[in-house]
Amino acid sequence: MPSSLLFGINNEGRVHTLSTMGSMWREMPYNGQEFKKLSGVPHFLWGLGGDHQIYVYVHGLDIPIRIREESYENERWLPIEGFSSRMLPTDRFHFSNIDGTLDRSIDKIRLPSMAWQWEGDWQLELTLEGKPLDHNGWTYAVDFPANFHSQKQWKSCVRRRLWVRTAKYCAMNSWCAIAPLHKDATKEPFIDVSIGGQSVAGSEPGTMLVWAVTSHNRVMFRTNVSTKSPEGARWNHIQVPPGCEVSQLSVGPTGLVWAALLDGRALVRLGVTRDNLQGVSWLEVRSPGDNLRIIQLSVGSYSVWAVTQDKQIWFRKGIKAEGAGVSEELAAGSGWIEMVGRMLQVSVTSTDQVFAVGADDRLIYHRTGICQEDLTGKRWRALRAPLQVSRASSNASIGRDKFHRSLNHLGSRPSSMIEQSNLSEFDEQSRSAPLAPTSLPVGDCKYEIQPKNPKAWSPVHSVGSIVGTEVHPETDESVWSESSRDSCIFAEDEEMGWAEYDAPWSWVEAGTCLLEPSQLPNWFSDSNCGAMQEEFEQPWRNRILEDLKGRLPNQDKFTLYEPAIDTTSWIHKGEARVNLGTSTFVDCILQLEWIQTTGTLTILNPDGATTMHSFTLSDITCVQLSSEPGSPRLSIHTPRNYPPVVNLQFSSDTLLEEWQTHFATTCSKLRDLQGKPSDESIWAVTTLGDIFVWDPSQLESNQLREDDLYLQKFDLSGKECPIKVALHVGCSPGTTLTLTGCVGDEADRLGINLEAPITYKSKHKAFSELENVCLHLNPRFSENVVIRNSMQEGKWDNEEREGSMPFARGQEFKLLIESTEDAFNIYVNDEKFTSFRHRLPPSSACILYLWGKMQPFKLVIKSPMIIVDPLELYWKQLGGHLRRVETCNAGITWGIGYDHTAWVYSGGWGGGFSGNLDSQNIYQLTDSQDYRVYENQRWNPVTGYTASGLPTDRHMWSDVTGRQKRLKDQVKLLSSRWQWVSDWMVDFHVPGGVDREGWQYAVDFPATYHATKQFTDLVRRRRWYRRCAVATTGPWQELGHTKLLDVSLEPVNDDPDCTIAVWALASGGQAMFRAGTSRSNPLGHIWEHITTDQPLSSISCGPFNQVWATGRKGCAYVRVGIRQDKLEGERWICVEPPGAQLKQISVNSVGIWAVDALGRINVRKEVTSTFPEGTHWQNIIADPPIINSAPHTKGFKHVSACKTEVWAVTDGGAVIRRLGISLENPAGSGWDIGISGNWQYISIRAFR
Amino acid sequence: MANDREILREVWEGKLPVCFKLDPDEVVELQQPDPFYLMVPRLSYFPLVTDKVRKHFIKYVSSDTQEHEMWLEYSAQPMKWHFPIGVLYDSMVDSDHEALPWVITVHFDKFPETQIYRFSNKETVESYFMACLKEADVLKHRGQIASNMQKKDHNQLWLGLQNDKFDQFWAVNRKLMEVSGENDYFKYIPFRCYIEDGYRQKLVKPVGDDGKRKTLNDLLNELFPDKDNVTAKIHGMIPPLETPLQWMSEHLSYPDNFLHLCIV
Repeated sequence: MPSSLLFGINNEGRVHTLSTMGSMWREMPYNGQEFKKLSGVPHFLWGLGGDHQIYVYVHGLDIPIRIREESYENERWLPIEGFSSRMLPTDRFHFSNIDGTLDRSIDKIRLPSMAWQWEGDWQLELTLEGKPLDHNGWTYAVDFPANFHSQKQWKSCVRRRLWVRTAKYCAMNSWCAIAPLHKDATKEPFIDVSIGGQSVAGSEPGTMLVWAVTSHNRVMFRTNVSTKSPEGARWNHIQVPPGCEVSQLSVGPTGLVWAALLDGRALVRLGVTRDNLQGVSWLEVRSPGDNLRIIQLSVGSYSVWAVTQDKQIWFRKGIKAEGAGVSEELAAGSGWIEMVGRMLQVSVTSTDQVFAVGADDRLIYHRTGICQEDLTGKRWRALRAPLQVSRASSNASIGRDKFHRSLNHLGSRPSSMIEQSNLSEFDEQSRSAPLAPTSLPVGDCKYEIQPKNPKAWSPVHSVGSIVGTEVHPETDESVWSESSRDSCIFAEDEEMGWAEYDAPWSWVEAGTCLLEPSQLPNWFSDSNCGAMQEEFEQPWRNRILEDLKGRLPNQDKFTLYEPAIDTTSWIHKGEARVNLGTSTFVDCILQLEWIQTTGTLTILNPDGATTMHSFTLSDITCVQLSSEPGSPRLSIHTPRNYPPVVNLQFSSDTLLEEWQTHFATTCSKLRDLQGKPSDESIWAVTTLGDIFVWDPSQLESNQLREDDLYLQKFDLSGKECPIKVALHVGCSPGTTLTLTGCVGDEADRLGINLEAPITYKSKHKAFSELENVCLHLNPRFSENVVIRNSMQEGKWDNEEREGSMPFARGQEFKLLIESTEDAFNIYVNDEKFTSFRHRLPPSSACILYLWGKMQPFKLVIKSPMIIVDPLELYWKQLGGHLRRVETCNAGITWGIGYDHTAWVYSGGWGGGFSGNLDSQNIYQLTDSQDYRVYENQRWNPVTGYTASGLPTDRHMWSDVTGRQKRLKDQVKLLSSRWQWVSDWMVDFHVPGGVDREGWQYAVDFPATYHATKQFTDLVRRRRWYRRCAVATTGPWQELGHTKLLDVSLEPVNDDPDCTIAVWALASGGQAMFRAGTSRSNPLGHIWEHITTDQPLSSISCGPFNQVWATGRKGCAYVRVGIRQDKLEGERWICVEPPGAQLKQISVNSVGIWAVDALGRINVRKEVTSTFPEGTHWQNIIADPPIINSAPHTKGFKHVSACKTEVWAVTDGGAVIRRLGISLENPAGSGWDIGISGNWQYISIRAFR
Repeated sequence: MANDREILREVWEGKLPVCFKLDPDEVVELQQPDPFYLMVPRLSYFPLVTDKVRKHFIKYVSSDTQEHEMWLEYSAQPMKWHFPIGVLYDSMVDSDHEALPWVITVHFDKFPETQIYRFSNKETVESYFMACLKEADVLKHRGQIASNMQKKDHNQLWLGLQNDKFDQFWAVNRKLMEVSGENDYFKYIPFRCYIEDGYRQKLVKPVGDDGKRKTLNDLLNELFPDKDNVTAKIHGMIPPLETPLQWMSEHLSYPDNFLHLCIV
């Protein structure tokens, strides 16, 4: 749970904040404005000032609020003039929106309010669907409206280009005034304001609803408030039933509004839905008692709390705000319940947690024990958080230092506002900001014409201003200085004094607060926690410990005593179902036997006597969850055995986890893998979100010899030729191969080949295989000669046949092949025989092929590189549920969940299925995913659209392809760790757009779907979704509230505690840079936003300041201008994609590797230090070994590059490693294939 | 919260060297059997650890007694198998004068039915252990935690104790040692005070009416108001009188969640 804030106002009208991470109240910098009331949702706080005007305060966002204005410049070709701005009378405006319906003259596009600033000037968009355009950015078409192309053709009669400009909300972390209702601000001031509606079902993400009450008891609704437009557009008057005078109101998270009337009754707004955010009508609710008047209300998700004039507090039962938009009963509830306690004011969070200000003592209370089952909670508990007295926030700072400017301006604020607003009518007229545009990329071409009248660019139609100041970022420090920017996210380590805070509170606002009832923040500082710490120091504790330790003084005497309980050997037995490579699961009995240091898994027939399959635990390389909803399954990978994967199905999740724990602990013990994985580890994630890690340090220490060479031995005795030995490492210079064996008595020809991967040429979807041999050593006894040759793409090269015949029939031999920079040196029986100049890159030689009549004994490889067989890696599981994991060689690892939450590896282990056993540094972790089903309907002339389709149609409830039947009420969760967190809802955010009820129309299934029904449309569909969440534990710490799409980590240099460059993409595709990350501070300090004109989909940073990204439209971007003192670089350069859109990219010393939408891997070629963006892409397609690596494999899914290696994951779930990468052949050749373990993500960035 | 892992671990690791000798009168063979030496955990129960002892001696006794239940005797008293081993040692042996190993006589014949319960198998011990655990939870949390636990958790507690697995046991026992909900303390402290041949129990709260934390001294005073200088022994050591009761209950309880105090 990331930190969030509770807000309070003290009796002097000063706003204070209390962070869920902290335990002290801090006063917000006072800028001369007292506040009476506050209402907030996370990051957006609205306040009613002491002057009865309304202010908005946006805080704690890492990414600036930016909107992109765009305008299409249209031109028509005229016979003499050529293209000109003179259009036909029927044509669209010269400057228009995308479909030409609105005039978007550039000089008429203004900033929404004073709180906004332009970022730069108007610029031309220079790409079209990811492809660069020429420098003028024109796109051509036959006529409006039509498809525009990048090239001008003879029939092109019109052209257009796109101008874009970005506006930024500058009033972040400061109070911004909302313009008053009338010119005279005192004419109709406000008496209440409330914000909510951040989770109205099906609404646009970022929507918020703001309601207010004026002193004339009129109810106002603020239109267009969203995260993109924090101040909204204008006030709409909402009629109330006659005789109702509203004094206070509250908006719940789902948009439910309750209002208190002056006569003590309440009104409930009905019909608030995504289509009608203002609601439809009011419903009266009586007050709890005859003489009781409701004076204040607060609305949560499943509760409404009220305070009456006698300070009594009441709970409204039967509320379910989720369905309140359509159901009167759920909106109005069924009755009042009196609660204990006398309260002045109450505030409910979106999760129904309740805070209140006590009527008598004016303390802030939290209602403990509120949960879904018990919404009324147990008792009131006072917050006892002291007030932190900080230099910046003490009252003495008024009129001093940076705030005095604000004060000076304050007096003149209302009048200055009016002056600016003279041009517009204030009443109910629209002063709307320009429509929030969609995001589109821009180039860096400047708009040629400077605006003639700069005044026209100032925000005339202002609806907001920062209190007392105008926004001049360059001159006004009060807005921009570091301390005020951080005014809410206080650094916790600041050394400051604190004082017991006994001043009475007048208001508490909890809507901004995200609280987990099970993990309450440290706000109730009883002496208890301190006491715990003290106990470690107490003399009695130390004496007890000493006495306990000294209980057996002469222990050595008893060392030979047998322990009563033998913990070194055990057997675990249980029933399961097994699938041994066939298609069905059959009943079996599993028996796991552990004796001292080794173990065996035996799979017995249900009779318990006969064995089906058995293997030792050291054969296991990976134990993975492979459950399907309703069937808990484990896959045990034993790649050297047959079958290579044993699938087990258990009768319950608990049983599965029990076995999973047994496998994990025994295999870890067997391989001596307890504790934290080393910094060089490879991390991978499966499609079920499980996290695995392979630690190379043990393999390294096993293989490494003193002479810095890695050594691997193969015993070939007993094997019959022909033999193929996969070397798993190329014969790059420095490698030696030693083969001993005996030539057969009747041998005629022998073959000893060093082969490179086969080249596959695809022709008409069929592949032809072309062999490559780096060295062909061919002793021919009949000719008494040893032929040396090579083969490239199936063609033999020139033979070399000089020299004697060192081999003899029936005699043993020792053959040593040494690879040097330019040749293979060949020694036979310790005498140099010959050398063979490299014809193919030696690093591609990765298979030793022996044929002919001989008996090989032993093969020894010495390689300068570690010899990794991807089948042999032992994958150890860590707790947690993530979508992706990125690591770097400084030992820092980050993860991103399916819900885009960022997590940082804590250096611990365990968690998840293994619970708390054998774990360290584990934390709570949650993640969420959506289940989706499609509802399909067909039109028929009589009844219109119905659920009865044609016999040939897809299921009326199906998955996206229509092949699988999916019924909403039959969708099962994956395991008991998952829970539903919402009901089924219609998804209104489906690509292609939907109509008001969520339907998409098409001519027939399957087809392209569109939002509006056309005459020819015979079918329609809509998507339903339901969210589920998993709660687990793992060695992961939550980073913050900023959601991430992608992240990449790389140390700036080799210094052990250097800065680590962390590049990430926020969920909107904006690039960010994490400042202050280092080995000692893996969480980093703060996000720095990097201006990006186009939303990005993937980012990767390599050493030497290489940062590459892919855009959502598929082109690649290189960041230039990165220096040691300017890690964030200067600007992006667009790189054309290789035919298909790029989806994911990985950059490291080894090169720039990217996966495209067709499932190919692309390698950037001719990358040099002077030309870091390279010249072109080389495609690598999925060849037969990849396609056969796992079922349903069509291409590559993810690629990761480290210093010298490239690994990838296929869409069939296999992990693969690129072979033969060298300087001469940077794209390598061939793949080494590991286990197919439904992998979806791998990060090898820390690996050599 | 029982969060002082060092103490918990040390308590768990407590072991006693025991020398089992078969009653010479029951030996039917010519040769006297060798004594059987075993390192037993203080927190365990004799029936859980004496399978090997039985196996070792059974061939030396007459065939008609072989089927009988084995029972143990020390200084002419039969051992109460349902007490933890550490409690038996602390209450029966004068450790200042008796040297280790603890010499115990093994019998197969003449089961002292009047003095100790019969036990047929380990399940008997398990059900007695679980009963104690639930009683302790009733005292601490009105029984809410133990009764809300699943069968699986109960199993894990029992198997953790039986197989000497500290982590396995404490993963579940931790919940029993937490204070529930609003309270900072247990309702009552589950304890048994052993004197002479029996034990005493009383409802003792971990805090006084004045809100002050009670100590071991307060407990002994409440239990023996007329006696001064009472010393209590637990886990083979004498805890200081100023040790807070809540802390003792959390850290020094036996696996059955009781503080077994032996008055010396």
